[in-house]
Amino acid sequence: MLGMIRLGVILFVILTAFYWALSWYFRSLARGALEREWDEEIRQGDREAFITQGMADYDSSLKKKLVWGVYIVPIVVVIALVYLTNYA
Amino acid sequence: MRYFRWTIFLLMLLLAFSFFHYNLPQRDIVRVTSTEVIRADFTGFNRFFYAQADSGNTELANRDLRLINAARTNGRVTVYRNEDTGFGWPPYFKLDSSNLQAEAADLISTRAEPIWVAITHYGWRNEFLSIYPNAIAVREVSGPDVTLIPWVNIAIFGMLFVAIFLIWRMLRRFRRRAIEPFLDRADDQLDLAKARYAGVTGGIRAWLDSWRKKPPRLK
Repeated sequence: MLGMIRLGVILFVILTAFYWALSWYFRSLARGALEREWDEEIRQGDREAFITQGMADYDSSLKKKLVWGVYIVPIVVVIALVYLTNYA
Repeated sequence: MRYFRWTIFLLMLLLAFSFFHYNLPQRDIVRVTSTEVIRADFTGFNRFFYAQADSGNTELANRDLRLINAARTNGRVTVYRNEDTGFGWPPYFKLDSSNLQAEAADLISTRAEPIWVAITHYGWRNEFLSIYPNAIAVREVSGPDVTLIPWVNIAIFGMLFVAIFLIWRMLRRFRRRAIEPFLDRADDQLDLAKARYAGVTGGIRAWLDSWRKKPPRLK
């Protein structure tokens, strides 16, 4: 029981760090794509406003919510491993 | 210095290899000959190579240890321990040691009428330290010559390389888009501050110089 709690705490710390890193990375990729789109295709109007609007769209997109998989996938993997090792 | 660096590099490589060799699953084709329980009195030297008490139990200085005795296809013997890894390291999440012991006992066979099984295990056997590989699962196979493809290890190494690549990409992007602009800004600020400081010290120096004895004015 204690082992389970310890694993939970360790996983939570590691996954939270990874969640922050990954959400920064994907946000940065989205921003980079918007910057490139404006620089290479649009080239008119307010660049900052275009990027701000695009980032607002990104923030409400499904893509951003997929980063929560960082928490969900390991939990599913642990449950699957417990099943496969002991009950399959 | 070059030898020192190479030594460190080789030691790290050896450590990484040992880590994976110890923790990743391997499968042996064996014939189970018996199962037994011995009392294990761990020492500081070999405690590291054992897991912990069964998942629901408490941890004491010594305890009973389940063993599975087996014979390899080449006739040599091999012994596995059978311990819960629970929710600790390595992450096999094995909680069913007693069931595995029963399965192994069910597969006991003689040399005359062998039942060949694949035992999935991790860890090392070392007679000096009295340590055993930990059996994870046992499965009957068709014969002593079956070929087993280590899909789990392939998948683990595949995911590991993907993870390393992703982390490398992330770090590179973080350096380019967060650290370098920050340093550039800091650099600009530093230049500005330097210019200001030069202005201030320049002013002070000019004022100090005004007290110095001046060269005689030319008339």
